[in-house]
Amino acid sequence: MISKIINMAERIKDAEDRLLESLFESAPVVDDGFSVNIVRKINRRLWVRRLTLPTAALIGGAIAFKPLAGLTAALSNLSVLIPQDLISGAASSIPQLQTVVLGAILLAVGLFSVRMLEE
Amino acid sequence: MTASEDRDLVARAVSGQDTAAFGELVRRHQSHVRNFLRKLAGDYTLADDLAQDCFMHAWDKLQTYSGRGSFIGWLLKVAYTTFLQSKRKSKRYAEILESAGRVADQESRSTVLPVDEITDLDKFLSVLTEEERAIMVMSYACGLSHREIGDATDMPIGTVKSVIFRGKEKIRNSFDIKDHQHG
Repeated sequence: MISKIINMAERIKDAEDRLLESLFESAPVVDDGFSVNIVRKINRRLWVRRLTLPTAALIGGAIAFKPLAGLTAALSNLSVLIPQDLISGAASSIPQLQTVVLGAILLAVGLFSVRMLEE
Repeated sequence: MTASEDRDLVARAVSGQDTAAFGELVRRHQSHVRNFLRKLAGDYTLADDLAQDCFMHAWDKLQTYSGRGSFIGWLLKVAYTTFLQSKRKSKRYAEILESAGRVADQESRSTVLPVDEITDLDKFLSVLTEEERAIMVMSYACGLSHREIGDATDMPIGTVKSVIFRGKEKIRNSFDIKDHQHG
């Protein structure tokens, strides 16, 4: 009720208010491609944003490839040091160890890709 | 142009990143925003650049529009913030130029209109402070309610009212506004 009274009081304008309104009044600004320009800019920005992550992943992957290959080689050299009976023991307790690891990696990559596409 | 249509367009733009819906919002409100910034900045080119920035910021912050109050009120808040930020930046730029020993006349060059283009409204606005100018333009040119102006400027309604009162008084004391009915 009080807010209604306040709103009504706000709407009651004196002659000076009406005069000021007419003084402040100005002709509408013609769009003239303004809105199209804004939408174009936003679309461009969206594309840049969409491409940034895959591009960064690609560049990061390219940079990381050489050290990663070195690391894999070093790890395979290390595996020689592990006793053979321990490896065969692990392989017998989990027969499809390699398949499980590969599946987990593929699942992680898949989830990451889906999330990236959603974004 | 209804408020519910605006809200639908905002919802479409936010939920589906629908740029066409946002484009429609820009088309509907660009005139108000550009007129507001033109009156505030006093320079059409600068005002139009600021209007572009304003709509880009609006796109980024669109999800923060709660639907409470009019969309144009929210948009003018973004426009006013954009204007203040640009003003702060150009002030800092002028300070850097001055400290480097150069003449920082860029600001005055960009805001002064040629004498024959100065209207009665420009004269009225020149006696007001930046804050008073923004609030008077929101009230008399854009037709925003005191509450909407309060939301846009982060001021209590009482302060908005007193700023308008002060602004009117300044104009009244500086000019005989009855003589400018067709200004």
